[in-house]
Amino acid sequence: MPADFLDRYSFGNTICHRCPASLKVLLTVGVIAGCALIPVSYWPAQGCLACLVFAGLSLAEIPLAYLIRRLVLFLPLVLMTAVAVPLARGFAGGWETAAAVVIRSMVAFLAALWLVSTTPFDRLLAAMCRLGMPRLFAGLLAFTYRYVYVLFDELARMKTAQRARTFQPQSAWRTWAGTTHLVGMLLIRALDRAERIHGAMVSRGWRGKMHDLD
Amino acid sequence: MHIADGILSNEVCLGAGVIAAGAIGLSLRKLNDTVSLRTIPLTGMMAAVIFAAQMVKFPLLLAPAYGHLLGGVLAAIVVGPWAGCVAMALVLFLQMALFADGGWLAYGANALNMGIVGSLGGHAIYSLISRRFAGPRGTIAGAVIAAWLSVVAGSALFCVEFTLSHHGAEFDIPRLFAVMTTFHSLIGVGEALITGGVVSYLLAVRPDLIDAPHQLPGAAAGLGRVVWTGAVAALAVAAFLAPFASEGADGLEQTADDLKFAALEKERPAPVSDYEAPIPGVDVSTGAWHKVSVALAGVFGTSAVLGIAFVLGRIARSKLVLREVEATHAG
Repeated sequence: MPADFLDRYSFGNTICHRCPASLKVLLTVGVIAGCALIPVSYWPAQGCLACLVFAGLSLAEIPLAYLIRRLVLFLPLVLMTAVAVPLARGFAGGWETAAAVVIRSMVAFLAALWLVSTTPFDRLLAAMCRLGMPRLFAGLLAFTYRYVYVLFDELARMKTAQRARTFQPQSAWRTWAGTTHLVGMLLIRALDRAERIHGAMVSRGWRGKMHDLD
Repeated sequence: MHIADGILSNEVCLGAGVIAAGAIGLSLRKLNDTVSLRTIPLTGMMAAVIFAAQMVKFPLLLAPAYGHLLGGVLAAIVVGPWAGCVAMALVLFLQMALFADGGWLAYGANALNMGIVGSLGGHAIYSLISRRFAGPRGTIAGAVIAAWLSVVAGSALFCVEFTLSHHGAEFDIPRLFAVMTTFHSLIGVGEALITGGVVSYLLAVRPDLIDAPHQLPGAAAGLGRVVWTGAVAALAVAAFLAPFASEGADGLEQTADDLKFAALEKERPAPVSDYEAPIPGVDVSTGAWHKVSVALAGVFGTSAVLGIAFVLGRIARSKLVLREVEATHAG
């Protein structure tokens, strides 16, 4: 698993990356909330918010191809939900609601993407801690983030091993059972690893309290 | 599926957020009360496992598509309901903060539908069933049924949230409800199969990892009892779905009368009928058959899940017996 799998663009050095993380969190939540609160009939205000988000994204030098790839994955789901409203009225109305859903979710999605790809996860966590997230939750998030990489690697190794043992595609039922065993074994290995990590933490003086992440 | 921002109204997001924050806060407090130094490594690792396991693609047995695990019930069974709830909240938060999967305002709704219902509610159902029926069969049956119900309940909750958000839009609530629950009762069968498979594998390989609730004295897994409970459960689900269906038929006509929609009504596409259990020779989208077919779909779903539970239980038991026999021979 490449190390930049999750935080791909968040280690840049643009003005957006250098901005304090708590300011960015507040700004993003502000944009998303503003977008949700302003009725779509005030479309100039919505357009301003969208422009703000696009300006942020281009200042952060996030590649357009990446944004388009993410939007291609994201838009069909939203469009499906949005079309449900006119569909339920026999396409005789409800288009305003559908448009509102699409515009709001797109602006909010891009704003969240901007925050995520300009802030490394540990900075984000420290900022959210300062803004009132419970310490235990933040500590757990940091731990999970640390070991997600390890488990992805473990999973990749186990899949390679499984492929090496299985010469040909088997029946659907066998494939299913094999995949179930894969998940079960991943669970067992991870929990055993948690025991070992716990031992290592205790032997290094772990007393159940997370220290500052900053 | 993660709910993006803008799909639910602000009030609904706020309400769901308050409920989710309450549940997660309660779970965190429970974790803090029963604190051992092990809490953070175990819960954090469980969240990482669910995160990674959601990436594993399962081939659907009937269609050329892939499904994946949701994991709330699995987490709750392995580490207990409170830690499971926190683990699911962590997974959903990470997906939001790393991939922008699911909106920031809709986090409460996402956590409620996909995490809290599965871990807290699912564990309640699981412990109810596995306390009644001793042994691995009870554990697996509990896991399978809880997994299926958690998916269906999550989709029902989404329907409630969605309708509350768009209540001004003369929305066809019962129809949406019927489509979503019927569709998700199929998705839930996948979740039930995966959860049941993983739990039975764990039971065969590392039974000490399963957080088995204290079993009631004299709880024996008789076949008759399983079938009896299953029949009652199927009827209960049907009874639960039927009023929505009947309300659908009546409410539809009511709206049509009120708004003089009758001409439009005839041309309206009926997405429900694709998902209903087909009754040969009868047009399912009209009249009283509507309610019967939705109820029948519920009964089929429940029976399928019970069948899975039963088969997996059998396999697990025969494996355990085999191991015991081997152990006695070796000893």
